[in-house]
Amino acid sequence: MKCVFDKPFNAAIDAIDSKLEKFDPIWQSEHGVGGLRSRYYDKTGIAKYREWRGCRDTMLDYVTWLKNLGMMGLMVAKDPVHMMKAFWEYRWMGSFLGSFAFVDRLFEGFRGRELEVASLHSNTIVRTLCGLIGTIVGNDRRLGGGPLTDQLVGLDETIPTLFFAGFPTLYPEPMQTLPEFVICDVDQHIEPYYIDVAESYGLPADVCSRCSAETGVSIDDAFPIFGKLVISTNQPCNASESTSMFQRRRFHSVGLEDYPFAFAMQHNEKEGNEYSAQELRNCIAKIEEVYNVKFDWDAFFVAARRINEQSTLEMEKWEILATPYSPLCGIAETLYKLVEWAIANGRIDYFNDTDRKVIKIMRQAVKDKYEPFKGKTRHRAFLWGPSAVYYTDLPTWTQNCWGLNLVLNMDSTMGHNMIDTHDPEKALVDLAKFSEKGVMRHHAVGGWANVNAVWDWAKKLNCDMVVVNDNVACKGMNGVHAMLEEQARDLGFYFCFIPHDLEDCRTISRAEMRKSISSYMSVVLNEKPLDETLVDFDDSEAW
Amino acid sequence: MKTVCKLTGKLLGIVLVLFVATFTLYMTNGENKLIYYVVRPFLNKHYDSQSRDRRI
Repeated sequence: MKCVFDKPFNAAIDAIDSKLEKFDPIWQSEHGVGGLRSRYYDKTGIAKYREWRGCRDTMLDYVTWLKNLGMMGLMVAKDPVHMMKAFWEYRWMGSFLGSFAFVDRLFEGFRGRELEVASLHSNTIVRTLCGLIGTIVGNDRRLGGGPLTDQLVGLDETIPTLFFAGFPTLYPEPMQTLPEFVICDVDQHIEPYYIDVAESYGLPADVCSRCSAETGVSIDDAFPIFGKLVISTNQPCNASESTSMFQRRRFHSVGLEDYPFAFAMQHNEKEGNEYSAQELRNCIAKIEEVYNVKFDWDAFFVAARRINEQSTLEMEKWEILATPYSPLCGIAETLYKLVEWAIANGRIDYFNDTDRKVIKIMRQAVKDKYEPFKGKTRHRAFLWGPSAVYYTDLPTWTQNCWGLNLVLNMDSTMGHNMIDTHDPEKALVDLAKFSEKGVMRHHAVGGWANVNAVWDWAKKLNCDMVVVNDNVACKGMNGVHAMLEEQARDLGFYFCFIPHDLEDCRTISRAEMRKSISSYMSVVLNEKPLDETLVDFDDSEAW
Repeated sequence: MKTVCKLTGKLLGIVLVLFVATFTLYMTNGENKLIYYVVRPFLNKHYDSQSRDRRI
């Protein structure tokens, strides 16, 4: 709706923007007088001041920050005693204080509609994580327990929780998400502590650092304690089985029973799906027995309808992502999808509200032929392989420094088949298929066809490049390097590896990861950086 | 009417003060500086002095 004041108001804002544009780091980089890295203290990753993005975008980012601050404040205010105890007890809780800086670096350089989408996603992610922290900390037996302590069910963070919607009185809480996975995104220096603990007990240093860190948390007695049962899994791979075995010893020592829930590794096969469906039946029966509850199919179907809507919208998003006009991009897409799928998994309704708002912005952007980042994108890449958890904002850096848009991440293509919402037997098989294609699994295990799908995705999304996250400690994928390089040559894609050590920033630093991209962009593609200040900098002491 | 105007004025004043305070904190990156240089070093000192029940 237009207002009579719109015109003079917009004119005033434009006048202020033109006066203050010299403080905008993107303007500075365009005019050779600075850039996005100029406002940081050396090494620490702490900015002297926040990014000036123009009046409208700065206000939008301020409101987003204020909402995030409010949600975090509310979380603490609801249960201050448990929160203080948790900060005092758990080293990983202290790392959550870096969340504001984390959100800032995720969306650096975002403007206009891409910032609008990123803000919606940022608030949804923070809301979800505040809920998760509040529930786990508020009911942790180590901190005195809470009203829901016995209704919580601990489970491995890689198990999709949609089936728990059939137990509306129970709360599935991932064991490792807070002390290990999410917190490594926020603070690159937290997991090396737990990895050292595991290695000091004889665990070799060349194993997957995610599993090593989880094992370290277990040895260090740093898992929250709640519920009556912990469901472990073989997701996504054999290293996970190993760490599950270490963790069960600790869980047993604090009186928690564990139940192994094993998904079929060959998840493209019908027999594999049937096997996983039977595993689901067994797991449901175990929960019914331990918690003395009955599975409620009607409640499950409500969540199934919710996730079906999310999957439908997701497929429409992919169609828009294939165009140059998607304001949903980079880490704003990846991180949101990871939280929506791997943490909420259809059990939280406000994700559908966010999805509906975002698809509306995306549809309008296509109509208006709106190109994000002022149309500075030069290359579009499909990102394959699990990303370095200690460098979540790498896609933001590739866009800002080289104009390289990492259009979609392998993990954003997780289970998206429709789930039957009427017949329990059909729903179980659909759910098995959906759950098997989980985090770090859909394209990483289950046969060569799943790995090979990378080229189909790149083609479908109109990418001219494939970037492969090369987790140097992943035993599963080390053997396919040469084959991927050969295929890229044959199919005519630009192709680049980014080496990393998943959760251990000491093996391959963020600076080394950036260098691998910069070398490819400058030597192979003969590109010049969009922002000189981003090419070489030291953030070794940053969170 | 006078009371309503007074109350509205006060309310606007509070909102303005809150806005100025939070926007200053936001623009100066105040909360991150405080956490990075004061709170975390203090907490890390505490975590390093903890004795934990370490076992396999």
